[in-house]
Amino acid sequence: MFTLPQKESRKPTTCPGSVSTRGLHSIYGDGLEREAARKPDQKLLYGVGDPTAMFSSDSPHLSSRGSIIKWFWDSAEEGYRTYHMDEYDEDRNPGGIINLGTSENKLCFDLLSRRRPRSCVDVGDSAGPHCEGILREEVASFLSFYCKSPAPLKPENVVVLNGCASLFSALATVLCEVGEAFLIPAPYYGAITQHVYLYGNVRLVCVYLDSEVTGLETHPFQLTVDKLEMALQGAISEGVKVKGLILINPQNPLGDIYSPGELREYLEFAKRHALHVMVDEVYMLSVFEESVGYRSVLSLEGLPDPQKTHVMWATSKDFGMSGLRFGTLYTENQDVATAVASLCRYHGLSGFVQYQMAQLLRDRDWINQVYLPENHARLKAAHTYVSEELRALGVPFLSHGAGFFIWVDLRKFLPEATFEEERLLWRRFLENKVLLSFGKAFECKEPGWFRLVFSDKAHRLRLGMQRIRQVLEGKSQVAEDPPSCQTQEPRGPHR
Amino acid sequence: MDLLCDLDELLIFFGLQMPDLHNEAKIRDSTILKIPLKFTESVTLSSLEPCDSTCMIAQWLGLKATPDYESGLDIDLLERLSFSAGSSQPDEAHMSIQSRSNPSDIPHMSDGQVWDQAFRNHSIHTCLMEMVLSLQQAVADHITQLATRHQQQDLVPEEQGHNQPIWGQEALLGRLMFQMVNHLQFGATGGQKFQPPCPSEDSKGDVRSREQAQVSKQIYKIFYQLTNFEDTSINYVLSNRGVETSALYHGSFQDYNTYQGNKYHEDKNTSGFINLGTSENKLCTDLLTERLSRSDMNYIDDDLLQYSDWRGQPFLREEVAQFLTYYCKAPAPLDPENVVVLNGCSSVFSALATVLCDPGEAFLVPTPTYSDFVFSAHLYAKVDLVPVDLESQVSDANTHPFQLTVDKLEQALLNAKLEGKKVRGLVLINPQNPLGHIYSQDSLMEYLEFAKKHSLHVIIDEIYMLSVFDESITFRSVLSMESLPDPNKTHMIWGTSKDFGISGFRFGTLYTHNKEVALAMSSFGYLHGISGITQYKLHRLLQDREWIDNVYLPTNHSRLQEAHRFITNELKSSKIPFLSHGSGLYVWISLRKYLDPCTFEEELLLHCRFLDKKLILSCGKTFMCKEPGWFRLVFAATPLLLKHAMQRFYTVLVEQEQDWVVKQLEDAINQEVEDLPASDASQSYSREVILTSGLEGCCSDLGL
Repeated sequence: MFTLPQKESRKPTTCPGSVSTRGLHSIYGDGLEREAARKPDQKLLYGVGDPTAMFSSDSPHLSSRGSIIKWFWDSAEEGYRTYHMDEYDEDRNPGGIINLGTSENKLCFDLLSRRRPRSCVDVGDSAGPHCEGILREEVASFLSFYCKSPAPLKPENVVVLNGCASLFSALATVLCEVGEAFLIPAPYYGAITQHVYLYGNVRLVCVYLDSEVTGLETHPFQLTVDKLEMALQGAISEGVKVKGLILINPQNPLGDIYSPGELREYLEFAKRHALHVMVDEVYMLSVFEESVGYRSVLSLEGLPDPQKTHVMWATSKDFGMSGLRFGTLYTENQDVATAVASLCRYHGLSGFVQYQMAQLLRDRDWINQVYLPENHARLKAAHTYVSEELRALGVPFLSHGAGFFIWVDLRKFLPEATFEEERLLWRRFLENKVLLSFGKAFECKEPGWFRLVFSDKAHRLRLGMQRIRQVLEGKSQVAEDPPSCQTQEPRGPHR
Repeated sequence: MDLLCDLDELLIFFGLQMPDLHNEAKIRDSTILKIPLKFTESVTLSSLEPCDSTCMIAQWLGLKATPDYESGLDIDLLERLSFSAGSSQPDEAHMSIQSRSNPSDIPHMSDGQVWDQAFRNHSIHTCLMEMVLSLQQAVADHITQLATRHQQQDLVPEEQGHNQPIWGQEALLGRLMFQMVNHLQFGATGGQKFQPPCPSEDSKGDVRSREQAQVSKQIYKIFYQLTNFEDTSINYVLSNRGVETSALYHGSFQDYNTYQGNKYHEDKNTSGFINLGTSENKLCTDLLTERLSRSDMNYIDDDLLQYSDWRGQPFLREEVAQFLTYYCKAPAPLDPENVVVLNGCSSVFSALATVLCDPGEAFLVPTPTYSDFVFSAHLYAKVDLVPVDLESQVSDANTHPFQLTVDKLEQALLNAKLEGKKVRGLVLINPQNPLGHIYSQDSLMEYLEFAKKHSLHVIIDEIYMLSVFDESITFRSVLSMESLPDPNKTHMIWGTSKDFGISGFRFGTLYTHNKEVALAMSSFGYLHGISGITQYKLHRLLQDREWIDNVYLPTNHSRLQEAHRFITNELKSSKIPFLSHGSGLYVWISLRKYLDPCTFEEELLLHCRFLDKKLILSCGKTFMCKEPGWFRLVFAATPLLLKHAMQRFYTVLVEQEQDWVVKQLEDAINQEVEDLPASDASQSYSREVILTSGLEGCCSDLGL
């Protein structure tokens, strides 16, 4: 079995047990436990994240914010490092860990690498002196086409940075003062907490969603305007100034998408309260189920408040190139565009990467005829396989034909509905060499939910599902060598 | 690859030059060029006059510009300024100028008179500006304190309710101060003098569009700035820091784009800007292009496209550790775990300042210093830099110009403490920028001991470490020291931008013995990450020790030496004093003798003269130099470019000398003229005649 103390002893002495002893409770949405303890009967509607409250140990070398930032790193990265120390490899390390925790599309490298050489061939035919200008034009025309915008999008509204993390950081900095907040429906992609905090010192107010369908709701974890209102009022009553609302569409980790009607309601809500809306559409081309009918916010006619609607997209997910660091913001608000662009110096990407991105985005034929159909077909096949496996296991799950993941309900496998038990189950998976992300990492308020990434090659998926099955059926075999991991918190930061 | 016909594009493609990181075309289009030239015609000004734009604004407002008007430049005036600036449409602005600049609004004087008179009083403006700046600092400090307190109070939700109004007030106060400073700032010197030193590759911000006559440019610039700030302040979309970020950007980078749009090119655009301001090494692009085109560079695999370790790909960090072990001559192999890789040294510095300091704390920095750090410390981290002012004068304590001594460090630290500043570290650049100095091992050790004594962090930027081209000079990296006084607080920054001339690659690295700092820095990989494929290329480049040692470095050094020799010979023959010590890409020159009086205003004007002649240099002010008249001249350019640049350089200096003579004459003449009861027309006529004859006289005096 996994031994906690062993890990403890390896902790740097300068921060005595800060991360591990606090364990679950120290995840930034700590408010959740506190609140829950205080009002056991009352349903928890929102929670104000406060990174400063989590960490008090002072380091002799770091500033107080530096200590918090380091704590983020410790809690976020170590789980991932565990995996890196024992990565599965078909030939070299068949007993290694299978990563079904990081949301990456590993299905289409062959397509991408086959396309790459071509990029050099069409270099230069219409390339002007500044490829950056061209890149923004390409992004505008790309988004016009794939988001189905009613009118062509304008290159001057496009800002390019090195990834969506930088975009969140930059928006937090230019839209909020220190200590102000954004609303975000939870569960959500947890790394955003860190992105808006690092430089921006901006907090997130969680709008907690329930798996249970009540009242007028039609599906689990449904976001309603009522919930938004209540969270907003709650935050205001605590003296927190809320400046905006973050929406992820298609949603991560739910795999849900918002209908145009819902989207409009949320946008109207934001307008009523003069909130900015940041819509992260990083999975927009990974909707593999045609029938889902995904609509980008850029496709809506007459946005309620176009000056406060900011859309993000990147190639990390839709083109499986998270390592390339390319993210883009589309906003009609020139002040925001200029302010974010002012930060480009710190979040720039190499000239030749910009160039290659422009080449890729312009290759509409390849995208439409080769890449997207193939990518969707493969995603669908992988999804079908995993969901059938889960059904066979009698495990409930949510999945809506978008994204790379399934939101799995393992509550019935927890002896007690606590996050400690959730953690223990997750640990059992890791011991059985399969890495998942647990719900706490997404600020889910119900213990027992896990995110399972299915966008991986068939043989790895098969093995991964086998290992999951072993754990759930109680046949988990403890590995011969105890895992050499230093810590056990996969924070699912790699979306 | 061969299809890339444009050289610039090729260089950007290979990462040899900075790409347009700022996505700037839109700003270029929407601002500078759209303001109608018409309205410059409505104000007639003597083109000889340097511009004090506040006076011009006063003129437009119909203020009587008597000598005492400045003292009345109070809230009332600012309000009127804002009012006039509120008309965001250039056309409206145009209308309002015309009506206000109508001579009938200013009953007693002609435009020219108002202008002249007001200009003489510009030093009052400077005082006022300084007062407002210190006021702003006081308010900022106050707000920082309050903010810290808020953060503590946040833990107690009940206490928060009544803080809201205070927050609002603070925000308003901050915004007002900010607006005032900007109005004054752009009023004072067309937006340059009082800005935080320009943030770019040393001096991008120095570039001004000189397409039009200086005066007309000033006018539209002021209008642009005023309308722009009014825009941002009336819409409450951006946070205060958002507004500030945009403003810094506008103040500093906008002009760089003017340069980008009109670069010198030996065939296509011989009248474009020559940039000897940005410290980039353009001498070895041929070698780099060739090396980066080799097939080993084009490798792609899954790992490069996926998320990697946020501290940088393991293979790259290992390579960096080996590279630094070898080139810094480390006594023991350096540990890859201590390496953090981010997208540029500015990012490294910004992140490091954030993890080492809390907002409002400070680093000591010997000045003159690389201005980018000032900007980077401020932008995100809100860390102050406390200057340790060095002097050019050689004295008993100062065995060479601008010498850094422990006494000076102690003094600066003491002063900072007296002012209530919490100093957390010392920033050193070695080889020094802009001085080109190298710290001897002994002095370095003294500084490190000083830091240890006061338990300060030491951040050493060694980004020019391989650009020491004079073989007689021994550079010793801090990593080469056998035993560091305080290894846990010694952090070294390096990057490939200067030593390999590939600023477009966006690569900077930190080496620290402190694991905690390395880990805290790692979080910033999210925000300052580099593409996997870029990391791979860098890894290959740094790995090719044979090419570096046998091809690149020898060639680079000999070319640098040659360019350096050319420039220093030129400077010697024209008797311009300079400092240069065989390292770096620049010489630090003194043009004090061309300034009369020797002030930063005059320094800026001379700088503008260079720009008028399409030559970009960096002036001392941007390096926080406390003595006016110093300039940094980058010589790492091709001989042809240097030759053209020097021609422009001399032209400006000759003009400057002539004008000095003219000014002397003019002053004398004005004395006489004031006694004559002449009409405007005859006055200007007589002036012109006298000026012309005076000029001829002085030209013959100068032997021209």
